[in-house]
Amino acid sequence: MKRTQSIDLRVMRKAPKLFAFRPLALAVTAGTLIGCSDDTQEAQVYKSVEDCISGNPGETQQCEIAYQQAEQEAIKSGPKYNNLAACVEDFGAHNCQSFPVQNNQSIFMPLMAGYMFGSMMNGGYRSAPLYPSYPRRPPAYGKWTSTDGNLFGSANSNKVRVNDKAFKAKPTVRRTMSRGGFGSTIAAKSSFGGRTSRSSWGG
Amino acid sequence: MFRSIIKQRPNWRESAAEYGFTFHTMHGEAYWDESAYYQFSLQQIERDIEAPTQELHQMCLRVVEKVVADQQLMQRFQIPEQHWNYIRNSWLAGDPSLYARMDLVYGGSGHAKLYENNADTPTSLYETGFWQWLWLQDQVNAGRLNRRADQYNSLQEKIINRFAQLKIEHPRDTLYFSCCKDTDEDRGTVQYLEDCATAAGIECKFIYVEDIGLSADDCFTDLDNLKISWMFKLYPWEFMLREEYSEVLEHAAVSWIEPPWKAILSNKALLPMLWKMFPGHPNLLPSFFEDELENSQLVNYVKKPIFAREGANISIHLAGKEVYSSDGPYGDEGYIYQAYSPLPAFGDNFTLIGSWLVGDQPAGISVREDKNKVTQDLSRYMPHIIL
Repeated sequence: MKRTQSIDLRVMRKAPKLFAFRPLALAVTAGTLIGCSDDTQEAQVYKSVEDCISGNPGETQQCEIAYQQAEQEAIKSGPKYNNLAACVEDFGAHNCQSFPVQNNQSIFMPLMAGYMFGSMMNGGYRSAPLYPSYPRRPPAYGKWTSTDGNLFGSANSNKVRVNDKAFKAKPTVRRTMSRGGFGSTIAAKSSFGGRTSRSSWGG
Repeated sequence: MFRSIIKQRPNWRESAAEYGFTFHTMHGEAYWDESAYYQFSLQQIERDIEAPTQELHQMCLRVVEKVVADQQLMQRFQIPEQHWNYIRNSWLAGDPSLYARMDLVYGGSGHAKLYENNADTPTSLYETGFWQWLWLQDQVNAGRLNRRADQYNSLQEKIINRFAQLKIEHPRDTLYFSCCKDTDEDRGTVQYLEDCATAAGIECKFIYVEDIGLSADDCFTDLDNLKISWMFKLYPWEFMLREEYSEVLEHAAVSWIEPPWKAILSNKALLPMLWKMFPGHPNLLPSFFEDELENSQLVNYVKKPIFAREGANISIHLAGKEVYSSDGPYGDEGYIYQAYSPLPAFGDNFTLIGSWLVGDQPAGISVREDKNKVTQDLSRYMPHIIL
């Protein structure tokens, strides 16, 4: 046989596409981590180290370490903006802070407003940073969100159900300085002959 | 090899919608055309197309090897000097390739001749790997084709297997897929490749070429500001190497599919280079650089821009007279000259064979027909069978 032996046609069918509009840095994927599978666990949400200590008497050191870890993770993988207004739009006024970078420039990041604190099988603890929801956009309104935009329970609650993934370190978020540095050739070529539509840049 | 009329599948347009084949009709003209098909013998496929494709591919790799080691040749291939190292290193590092399509002149007898090698950004992949495969299955099931009918087309199987190999080098990386905005055909091709990669267990994400970002620490970023480390781009190297972000290509250290060294193969300067290294090879047409034309004794020839797409800026010269020319935006980088070898005519159609490679393996063919002597982007795609 000179052809592909078999193709799973179910996989090849395309359901009607749903278009999701994603805000600049955060993708809202509500529900993916919340209580729909068996491997979830309950995690505490604390807004400060003191908050944590009062909930876990005698665990002062753990609470401090967890806070510091969450803060470091927030700096590494939290959303980064080139201007304050963009940050405020996603996280609300008073929820953004500036960080100096090289050449007297600054970037803007949301303030970590709390952190998840969960116990591990081996008796230790682990943590992950949380932000307040974006101010005006449902369905995020009033919810905790993680650095990669996952939504958790109400920001009024101090308990959330999460799975293991919620505590994993997220990929480092970069500060993008520019876009559009590829693709400029086609702008010049496609105006040729007044053709407004085109079929392919391949061949 | 012959052309047969066949009844079309009554529901193929609905089926196309169901499978997401959105570009079967373009600019108001049919692109997918199943009113006829081409039939080959197994010997024609294996002896005249598959084996020569394998051999031509190996010859092409010898050209790359030679060109990357020679600054004068890099210049002839119009590779910008600041990227010579980048391209040479990509070759020396053995950066793996995914696929390519060689355009062959073949009419059923004699030696297939290489027209050109679309080794960087070949399209018509979905139509070949999946859609004509489905057509054969449907037509056999409907009793309109012999049950023994086969097709030279293991493209989908081979691409999925190739992705599975590539994944070994990138166990945790997300593979980004990319093409330009506003083209259904390119978006469809890239979606198909993404489906194949997903089938191979790779995590995939899509971003338009124009949306790729550059971070403060010289990484390429996606729209979530995450670093891009592995990317398939349906966008020609000859464009990328001349654009703003080319400056950071080395630092950004992306594993590209196709790899940078493909800039040598998708380049029409390949053709005179092949003829120099393998003169008189039965699957090659005599081809020359501009400064060699005078001594070449070419009487009838085709003039092709070093960089061009979809049959643009090509002219045919017979006995010193220009008898055909197509316009287009290319040609600034110079031309090459290839002996005139007209496409075979089947009725009033001129037929071109696209012979596919996945990695280093021949993997199938596509057949395109045009009323014009030079196949352009509005030519029609025809299915084929082996019987």
